[in-house]
Amino acid sequence: MSRSGARWGAALVVAALLAGAVAGCGAKEGGGSDAGSGTTQKEPYRVGVVVSLTGTYAGLGIPEKKAIELQRDAINANGGVNGHPIEVIFEDDATDPAKAAAAASKLIEQDGVLAIIGATGTAQTMAMRAEVQRAGVPQVSMAGGSVITDQLDPLVFQTPWPNRIVVPFVLKAMARKGLTKVAVISDSGGYGKDGHAIIVKEAPAAGVTIVADETFNPGDTDMSSQLTKIRAAKPDAVLMWNAGKEAALIAKGMKQLGMTQPLFGGPGNGRKEFIQGAGDGAEGFRFAAGKILVPSAYGTDTEAYKVATEFIDSYTAKYGESPDIFAGHAYDAFLIVVDALKRIEGDATPAKLRDAIEQTKGLVGVGGTFTYSPQDHNGLTESELVLYRVENGAWVLDEQ
Amino acid sequence: MSMSSADVLQFVASGLQNGAIYALMALGFTLVFASTGIINFAQGEFFMLGGMLAAAGMAAGVPLGVSVLAAVAATTLVGCLVERLALRPARSAGGLALVIITIGCSMLIKSGARHLFGPDERALPAFTAGEPLSVGGALIEPQAVWVLVLALAAAVGLTVLYRWTKMGLAMRACSISHDAARIVGVDTARVVMLSFGLAGALGALAGAVVAPITQTAYDVGARMGLKGFAAALLGGLGDPVGAIVGGFVLGLLESGAVAVVSGTYKDAVALVVLLVVLVLRPQGILGRHLGEKL
Repeated sequence: MSRSGARWGAALVVAALLAGAVAGCGAKEGGGSDAGSGTTQKEPYRVGVVVSLTGTYAGLGIPEKKAIELQRDAINANGGVNGHPIEVIFEDDATDPAKAAAAASKLIEQDGVLAIIGATGTAQTMAMRAEVQRAGVPQVSMAGGSVITDQLDPLVFQTPWPNRIVVPFVLKAMARKGLTKVAVISDSGGYGKDGHAIIVKEAPAAGVTIVADETFNPGDTDMSSQLTKIRAAKPDAVLMWNAGKEAALIAKGMKQLGMTQPLFGGPGNGRKEFIQGAGDGAEGFRFAAGKILVPSAYGTDTEAYKVATEFIDSYTAKYGESPDIFAGHAYDAFLIVVDALKRIEGDATPAKLRDAIEQTKGLVGVGGTFTYSPQDHNGLTESELVLYRVENGAWVLDEQ
Repeated sequence: MSMSSADVLQFVASGLQNGAIYALMALGFTLVFASTGIINFAQGEFFMLGGMLAAAGMAAGVPLGVSVLAAVAATTLVGCLVERLALRPARSAGGLALVIITIGCSMLIKSGARHLFGPDERALPAFTAGEPLSVGGALIEPQAVWVLVLALAAAVGLTVLYRWTKMGLAMRACSISHDAARIVGVDTARVVMLSFGLAGALGALAGAVVAPITQTAYDVGARMGLKGFAAALLGGLGDPVGAIVGGFVLGLLESGAVAVVSGTYKDAVALVVLLVVLVLRPQGILGRHLGEKL
């Protein structure tokens, strides 16, 4: 039995760090490539998808993967795109930016994909940028950070409503309800940090004063210290900005500390696991997101309603649960790529596909109607958003 | 922003609640270290198994109390199996190889849990329903009381076992010298297996009792493992009382870091203090100089 004090301790710390790194690798899921059931003879079009199937954003990435598999099968069953079946190669980034970059590199170098859909998260999306730039492959992200399309790149497009659209929408809704002294709690990861910067910038214009400003790290399991500081600041309401499982801890923690202030959030909190995890704490929680959660919000006579209900019905039939907003973002990303591929004459190349994606016009998806331009790679507006409230464990439209 | 005394108490309550969990984890590390001289990096996965198995039991319709007890029992068995099947055959390979084997076990357990239970987080109901209790203005959830009481009970039980039973005597003997213990007739293999089983039980208890507050998922183990390891180092590896002190000190440090600095730097502040303590007192707060015993 060897116990040589400090050196042994140092070795253990190194081992601990290795354990973290190795365990992370262990969680990686091999990217399986499944061709669809196309019956055509033409060369398949290959599309890479980088999603978080493990880690903090697993709850977002898994419905995204399901939605894309569903659409791929539907398109291939109908003869593919211009006679080409679509082959989708999935990679798990484990909610890790470095792994997202590696996955993009693998998809480009080994699989020769025409486009990459991904990633699930903002930091992971940004980490892939160098790879797509080097190879000139278009990327359609399913993450909501503003930075993705604020730092405009000719190759990078985005399907969710970015924070620059959602944050002012939520702040204005709070001000309308007379909740002007607001405490903010955001995660220090990519999406929370991105949202936090916009909250601070947009609050004065919306007539909102920030009276407390707290942060937490992805994976934290206790929020009571942050919430105690927030409680001491006596805000009218609390606004949280994050997209992971920590949201439930905040809602529960507020209830535990006897805080009765209304809690607000963004699209990242539109998850059933949040309601299950927060229990009673979720009641009355308000958040902004697109209309997929209560499709009547589209207006029942609209094209968007038809598109969304078709998607909801086929998703529910296949998976036995209704799609959430993340499934919707993935549906839109896949739709945008397929629509652009259809418009390409002759065989598709990444460069032709990029140009075709940028020419997307009036394309009705579930997150909104997409019109891209060389200056706008998101193409959505505030009109795609509604405010929801959790009532008896379900989402209802908040009076607007 | 001004802090009232109730707010300060709330920070202390939060620190104690997290500290109790860290203490249970640190006890698991310390028990295994005392009997084998190695760090068991699968300790965090015992924590995960406690919460996930209890949640799985609930989902299968088993009552909460039975689910939790069964989860603790099953994880105790997993702890024994890790020792018997993975470590004992490689006993002669030396400390570092054994540590690496525990890392392998942790990966295996984590991947297994992911495939068995899926990647989503799971919720567990509180052991007793009820409104938060007010202690000097600080509000404490009934579940936090469970955390503290069970951690305390485990610590007392362990101390009794360690100090006043024959098995405890054997464990202490092993921690001083395996060879000498074997010479005087101690079944050292059994002691080592028991320490892994107890480490499994402590980790699972921590994981199950805190799951109603924090939720649980297949990947919560690594993080909690590092926290428990840090607490064990802070208190002094191999010393049960030190593990408990280290756990509570780490919990209070983290809570204080949020109060005066920021949530972003919570982990960093705690680790910096850990490094400073280890530089000034490499044996930990309560740890004795290891040489003294020999």
